[in-house]
Amino acid sequence: MRTYFYELYQSLDAILKGMLLTAKVAFLKKATIQYPFVKRALPPRTRGQLFCNINDCIGCKLCAIACPVDCIYITANKKGPTEEVNFTSETSGKKPRRFHLPQFDIDFTLCCWCGLCTDVCPTSCLYMTPNYEFSVQNRQALIWQFGESQKPGPKEDFNRPQDQLKLYVA
Amino acid sequence: MEPSELKTQELHINMGPQHPSTHGVLRVELVTDGEIVKRAIPHIGYLHRCFEKHAENIDYMGVMPFVDRMDYVASMNNDQTYAITVEKLLGIEVPKRAEYIRVIMAELNRISSHLLAVGTYGLDIGTFTPFFWCFRDRELILDIFEMASGARLLYNYLWIGGVWMDLTPGIEEKISEFCTYFEPKIAELDTLLSYNPIFIQRTANVGVIPLETALSYGLTGPNLRGSGKKWDLRRDEPYSVYPELDFDVQVGRGEQGTVGDCWDRYIVRVREMRESLKIVRQSLKQIPPGPHRATLRRVQPRAGEAYAKTENPRGELGFYIVSDGSLTPYRIKGKSPCFTSISALDEICRDAMIADVVAIIGSLDIVLGEVDR
Ligand code: SF4
Ligand code: SF4
Repeated sequence: MRTYFYELYQSLDAILKGMLLTAKVAFLKKATIQYPFVKRALPPRTRGQLFCNINDCIGCKLCAIACPVDCIYITANKKGPTEEVNFTSETSGKKPRRFHLPQFDIDFTLCCWCGLCTDVCPTSCLYMTPNYEFSVQNRQALIWQFGESQKPGPKEDFNRPQDQLKLYVA
Repeated sequence: MEPSELKTQELHINMGPQHPSTHGVLRVELVTDGEIVKRAIPHIGYLHRCFEKHAENIDYMGVMPFVDRMDYVASMNNDQTYAITVEKLLGIEVPKRAEYIRVIMAELNRISSHLLAVGTYGLDIGTFTPFFWCFRDRELILDIFEMASGARLLYNYLWIGGVWMDLTPGIEEKISEFCTYFEPKIAELDTLLSYNPIFIQRTANVGVIPLETALSYGLTGPNLRGSGKKWDLRRDEPYSVYPELDFDVQVGRGEQGTVGDCWDRYIVRVREMRESLKIVRQSLKQIPPGPHRATLRRVQPRAGEAYAKTENPRGELGFYIVSDGSLTPYRIKGKSPCFTSISALDEICRDAMIADVVAIIGSLDIVLGEVDR
């Protein structure tokens, strides 16, 4: 009987203590935010969607080699001897661009946002943007094109004859 | 029918794979006699992602994101283990600064992992508030990680030969701010959960692992320390810069019941958070300037093999790597601490009540991503 009441007292005491602590928190600033309406400020290093500035790309394919899931598809055709070799911009080291790059596709269904490709890029033209809101209705729309004379965005023309790798189409 | 003709039959119950307290996708087959559990057979493999086979086809650096996904609540610690193993294979020296950054990140990750373990353990037992509070504090650590690495869960920040980038300016203040903020929160957690009589009643004297059993099953980490063995790889087989840091190894002492019960394993985790804070504070003071990554031309070790192990939040994580001198590993074997913990489940659960099985699984703190790999 004694222990019964003692235990009852103990539990009530514990609940009261807990309640007091919880009540204190009720007056503090809220830790949550209402997501679609309020957005967190993201730090500059945020690893979000990849972006490739194709005008600075020299077609070295280091990114495609570094990628652990092989989700970067590049077609690089060497420029002919008569064609003009232009250079990348000042900020990326004025490197000669010796390749035509008709295809530079990234399959975001496979990408795991590891950032290995951005680290190896010698011209820093492949980088990660803080964009994390790009959900789509079908998987095809997650394959993005960055190739020369293409509008960066979801790939429009699948299985073009010059593309070296057949991408997922279904 | 005569009463003597009546017979009893054992009942097989499936707990999981979608049971909230199995912390992932684990199915436990319970052989029960009424409320008493006669056997508990864990069935694993639901999260199998072929880590080891995958790793044979990717270069050494590319394995890192896969290592992240093993124990996804303690990615930094996994990365550290893998990086140390490959560095051993390569025979390279890591800059001092990188080692300190690694230790800071690993210890912060230990706190965040323990917060998750403690919070969800409270949830399993039936209290709701500590879970929210733990996640609120864990969020701050994730913010720090996001500042440093850009990612919130799968960091890929500790690389072979050092770390990806140097610490962001201003992050050191943020870390020390967190240390100051977090110290009183552990005391709050103690009032709310650890010394709550209801919680003690649910966990003390439940799921006792005697030291001998723990040793024979090869349990490591907080599960072994909960049974009273003072064994911590950071102290006993030091790696990285841990010999230069001062911290205590917490063990279960059976304060509320028997040594090695669920409460002991729980309290070891709570106390380890304080130790981790100590380590983070010291490392912040001692961190030297310098390069953050050793210059590596390419990661291509000579033929050979290496094994390295570190103290993960869940125990001893080890990697065994065999190299044949090519760009990809010949074989990688991960030694997972959760796998050994889960193998002892049957022995611990024997003759326990069904309701206690939840408490026992929670106290072992398993992450199925690492069990199945
Ligand atoms: S972030 Fe990682 S997975 Fe994604 S494209 Fe780059 S290397 Fe490949
Ligand atoms: S590493 Fe950079 S420069 Fe080389 S192909 Fe990739 S994006 Fe282009």
